[in-house]
Amino acid sequence: MTVFKTFWKVVNHYKGTIILYTVLLIVFGGMNMKSNNQMDFVDSKPDVFIVNKDVSNKITDNLISYMEKNSHIVDLQEKEEKIKDALFYRDVNYVIYIPENYGSLVLNGQNPKIEIESTGDYQASLAEMLLNRYLKIQNLEQMAYMEQNELINAINENLGHQASITSISSLDEVGLTNASNYFNFASYSILAVVILVIGLVLASFNELNIRKRTVTSPMPYQKYNFHLLLSSLLYAGCAWFLFCFLGICLLGKTVLSIRGIWYMLNALFFTVSALALALLISTLTKNKNAMNGIVNVVALGSAFLCGAFVPAEWLPNFVLKIAHILPAYWYINTNNCLKEIENLSFGTLKPILFNFFILILFTVGFILINNYLSRRKQRID
Amino acid sequence: MFWHNFKYSVKTLLKNKILLFWVFAFPIVLGVFFHLAFQNIEKNEKLKIIDIGVVDDLQFQNRSIFKEALNTLSEKGENQMFSITYGDEEELHEQLEKKEITGYVSFGKDDVYLFVRKSGINETIFRYVIDEIASNEKIINHYISDGMSYVGNENVDFNMMIQNMMQTIESSQGNIENVSNENLSYTMIEYYTLIAMACLYGGIFAMVIMNSKLANMNATGKRTAISSLSKGKLIISSLLASYIVQLLGIVLLFLFTIICLKVDYGHHLPFVILLSFVGCLGGLSLGIFVSAMFKKNENTKTGILIAFTMLGCFLSGMMGITMKYTIDKYIPILNKINPASMITDGFYSLYYYGPNKRFFFNIISILLFTIVLTAVSIREIRRQKYDSI
Repeated sequence: MTVFKTFWKVVNHYKGTIILYTVLLIVFGGMNMKSNNQMDFVDSKPDVFIVNKDVSNKITDNLISYMEKNSHIVDLQEKEEKIKDALFYRDVNYVIYIPENYGSLVLNGQNPKIEIESTGDYQASLAEMLLNRYLKIQNLEQMAYMEQNELINAINENLGHQASITSISSLDEVGLTNASNYFNFASYSILAVVILVIGLVLASFNELNIRKRTVTSPMPYQKYNFHLLLSSLLYAGCAWFLFCFLGICLLGKTVLSIRGIWYMLNALFFTVSALALALLISTLTKNKNAMNGIVNVVALGSAFLCGAFVPAEWLPNFVLKIAHILPAYWYINTNNCLKEIENLSFGTLKPILFNFFILILFTVGFILINNYLSRRKQRID
Repeated sequence: MFWHNFKYSVKTLLKNKILLFWVFAFPIVLGVFFHLAFQNIEKNEKLKIIDIGVVDDLQFQNRSIFKEALNTLSEKGENQMFSITYGDEEELHEQLEKKEITGYVSFGKDDVYLFVRKSGINETIFRYVIDEIASNEKIINHYISDGMSYVGNENVDFNMMIQNMMQTIESSQGNIENVSNENLSYTMIEYYTLIAMACLYGGIFAMVIMNSKLANMNATGKRTAISSLSKGKLIISSLLASYIVQLLGIVLLFLFTIICLKVDYGHHLPFVILLSFVGCLGGLSLGIFVSAMFKKNENTKTGILIAFTMLGCFLSGMMGITMKYTIDKYIPILNKINPASMITDGFYSLYYYGPNKRFFFNIISILLFTIVLTAVSIREIRRQKYDSI
């Protein structure tokens, strides 16, 4: 029990690190969660800001009300710098500047110029489509109707027509996206918490004076190693349980389901591979500072290259190819598959079982390399 | 003595591998990760051609306006919006399930039915375009029925009328002018926070060098304390050495990000250099402050400095680009006192607005931060005497 107790005493010394990475997971895993749970089709709405330089009149108000209905109107101060900052940071996708006398110019049969600022992305294209459609119909109806109310009625009647749309997927898309994002980010926290803490704890056990005392103690070498391994396993299990428990608290019923069990099982396989990697790194170096550097590079590298921070579908192909050599790639791939699979069955779960197999291979590989290196080091010693 | 101490301080710092890793190599490694992860983000946000299906049955064949419009929208070229697969409903449904298409459209006598797999931006665009064609169809049909009632059924050239009306619709586009700023690449913020991080991390050099001059820290400090040399001279030459090494790291990072990662710092290189030099001064003062104010061992002091830097970088957008904006919007005071945000905002304003009032406000803020921290540190360490240690 001496080794076991000492292990946890040293772990307690690094509780700040564990808290830090757990808070990061809660902040970033929870930050991007969407709350829409509707199963029916819902239109995407771009974030729009309207600067109206015209006086209140029915024509201008109708345009504004159409944009309000089909987009999110962002609350911003009407200052140039605030608007430009909002555009840069994508708080707004599209800014519409309605010019002076817009309403009266339209009623006079003109097509007044509207200035816009756009981020040029999908949402901005959607906002431009909305605006263009409105203006096109306004210009067409203008030919037939000169009276203000008639023109507005004609525009609204035309815009009111919508095709019937059916969504064929029965998946809780928003909930599953939230779950995948959470577990994807968890890969970073798991790697950091498991590798860094186990590495630092084992480095403490491997300090020269401690090592000398251990070697001369009556405790058999095998028992000592077995206790260390057991403590490391228990610690990794606790880390896994903590992150799954937080997942349940943040995601609720999405994780408390059969699919949720697959997410957690995936996290377990990944945690075990991270543990094997931690043992390998602690064999490679006993220097705590060097370990800090290695862990940061491994954890951040895995998170950036495998799709924990940026969705994998946005990463270049060559980056994803490189990422195949990291366990995090297979773990994140499973999370992304779980988000998409319509019905869970042996057939649809095959890619996930394959990913589990690869994670097991990584674990075995790390253990074998670790054994080889420690044996070599012992011989050298 | 000044230059002698300067020379050996530079040597000591450049031989410390751990320091060199965190200040020189780590920002470069992080920059490579940023580059690999973010290089496609903005490209992926641009509207791409959407794969859709059209149920090719008798009803569709009767909707000549839809046929014409979909044909135009799927023509190869700059304005191509859709890539269309024509087929029967069962086939398209299967393709939709396999995610080969975003959605498909089928036609009733007068109605249009859309089928998609889920809600999403491509699906919404698909819907808006189909709605727009349906609106145009309605207007054209209205026009044709008006024409028929006027001239009689047998005298109407339907195709000509449809062509005319389509042309009228096409020429009725809104008069929209795009006045957006060209510099809208928001991933640049990540690199700016990286520079901010490197500037502040550089404070570790100042901290290490200051620790070696403090009697309560190590043997070198004790020897320095009892020597007859001017402490002021020693400290200034050591800090100058750490500033030079810090600048060396920043120059390396700049060269790497500009040459290898193609980072755009705008067209105002002298101001970029000015901001980095001032940013390094901020880092230097932070290192002196941590060294002077915290009576802890070197590892704890390093931990404090790294934690402060990372927190500052987190708030200035390193781990999520919108974080800085959110803080600016809701708790602006936090970013006004955060040196990482001052540096990031300085680079941002230079890139987005050019060297304006905001840029110089950031420069002055960093200088003020430096002066305050240095003054407090000097007050703490001057005239330190120990009866026994």
